[in-house]
Amino acid sequence: MTDVTLYHWEPNANSGKPMLALFEKGVAFDSHYLDLLNFDQHKPDYLAVNPLGTIPAMTHGKLVLTESTAIMEYVDEAFDGPRLMPADPIDQWRTRWWMKFMDQWLAPSFSMIGWSVFVGPSVRQKDPAELEAAIDRIPMPERRVAWRKAINGAFSPEEMTESQRRVALGIGYLEQALGERQWLASDEYGLADINGFNLAYAMPLSQPQLCNDELTPHIMRWLRAIYARPATRACWALGRTDLARRISLLESEPA
Amino acid sequence: MTGILYHGQPNGPSFTVLAAAFEKGVDLDLRAIDLVAGERHSTALPHPIEVDQSIEGEGPVLVVDGVAMTDSVFLACYLDEVGSGPAIRPADPYARWQMMAWCRYVIERVAPAAAALGNAATPPPAVPAGIASADLDARWAQAVEAKVDEAQLADSRSKIFQAVEKIEAQLADGRDWLMGDFSIADLETHAWLAGMRAIVPDAFAAAPLTDAWEARLRARPAVAQALGLATVPEPEAIWAIGPEINRWG
Ligand SMILES: N[C@@H](CCC(=O)N[C@@H](CS)C(=O)NCC(=O)O)C(=O)O
Repeated sequence: MTDVTLYHWEPNANSGKPMLALFEKGVAFDSHYLDLLNFDQHKPDYLAVNPLGTIPAMTHGKLVLTESTAIMEYVDEAFDGPRLMPADPIDQWRTRWWMKFMDQWLAPSFSMIGWSVFVGPSVRQKDPAELEAAIDRIPMPERRVAWRKAINGAFSPEEMTESQRRVALGIGYLEQALGERQWLASDEYGLADINGFNLAYAMPLSQPQLCNDELTPHIMRWLRAIYARPATRACWALGRTDLARRISLLESEPA
Repeated sequence: MTGILYHGQPNGPSFTVLAAAFEKGVDLDLRAIDLVAGERHSTALPHPIEVDQSIEGEGPVLVVDGVAMTDSVFLACYLDEVGSGPAIRPADPYARWQMMAWCRYVIERVAPAAAALGNAATPPPAVPAGIASADLDARWAQAVEAKVDEAQLADSRSKIFQAVEKIEAQLADGRDWLMGDFSIADLETHAWLAGMRAIVPDAFAAAPLTDAWEARLRARPAVAQALGLATVPEPEAIWAIGPEINRWG
């Protein structure tokens, strides 16, 4: 029994950020797995925790927290364990800058591609009436639109091209930043790396023509270094699907 | 500490950073630039990724020790760390989470809506040369050509209504400031909403707590000092290009 409960899906994207931060801090928590593809996040039990119906959410005693990046900052400050926010104020700024850049620019582009090739097809075969009812239960209007598009395969070619453009550019920016320093935002492993790894761990598989040992050696070095950490192994062991198992590609040796 | 702050009129993100610097007593070399004329893209400023790809759009740039920093909330956090004035972030981790989550809401939902409405009300004259980010360039072109998507503007107005409702609810227990103690959340929220009174007046029609909060905020010496840097009578009517409206949801 602990006084921390994390409501999460796979160790991936927004769910994986607080999961990995908790493992790095050595904070024991009760894991409450929600199946995103089964719309668990829009069911009344969970809406009582996070009325917006998005994953993740965390409770600490009576406190309820949402917003994965803000949760990570809380985890770092509220618990003992290694410090994950750098000490230097400029490095702190850079940590937050990169997390925002990933959260609000790069990750949504990865999401659009992921939802179009994976999430949509995974739920499409369900009974149409059941799907309509499931979409009607989604609290945020923006998310109802996203789910409809994913299910109907209705992302426009322009949207997809724009997302692919951003993914290609974003990989270049990450490579550049990791060429300048060992970790994304400072000389020590920290929150920006935890955030970034959740976005990037499967890139060599999903974007092999953009992310590989030849083109992006710094990204590959960084991903392998994070994969080697015991906290990362423990965190990804909570995955239940092939999505999380993609991490094993990082066992490969540099080419 | 020495730093150079390139800033626009005290509205939007420039307001937040100027007021935060004065609250914290951080002595900066203030350099006013015309954000609406695109001066942020001139070669006089440094152009690392963090300047050219800032999610905020045309916000201020703070240069310290050769590092050019952007994004107003995080600049304010930086100023809180290095300045000697009273804290502008709560010390308790949960209260701090509340402040960061509130600011994220403002950044992600309110700011794009306000900027879109501001640009539609007063379209900038021309797209400046030298914009590195293609999506920022596209937002400029859309604003200059006044290509107004009515559905998007209607949604933006509803975001302003929601923001005012959220402030009213937050202040309902009689507190003076959004997080209890004065914080960056007050600055960032005011930064984007100040100009909305003229553009979406109905949102403020029955918001007495918000009115009183704004009056308290404007009475703070640091806020008055920031607004005093305006070189136009109504800085809140000056809108450079802001963050994009969330394309995912
Ligand atoms: N800004 C939020 C976003 C959370 C979010 O959108 N999570 C996704 C999963 S990565 C989700 O819940 N999607 C399912 C849905 O919207 O139904 C955060 O960072 O926590």
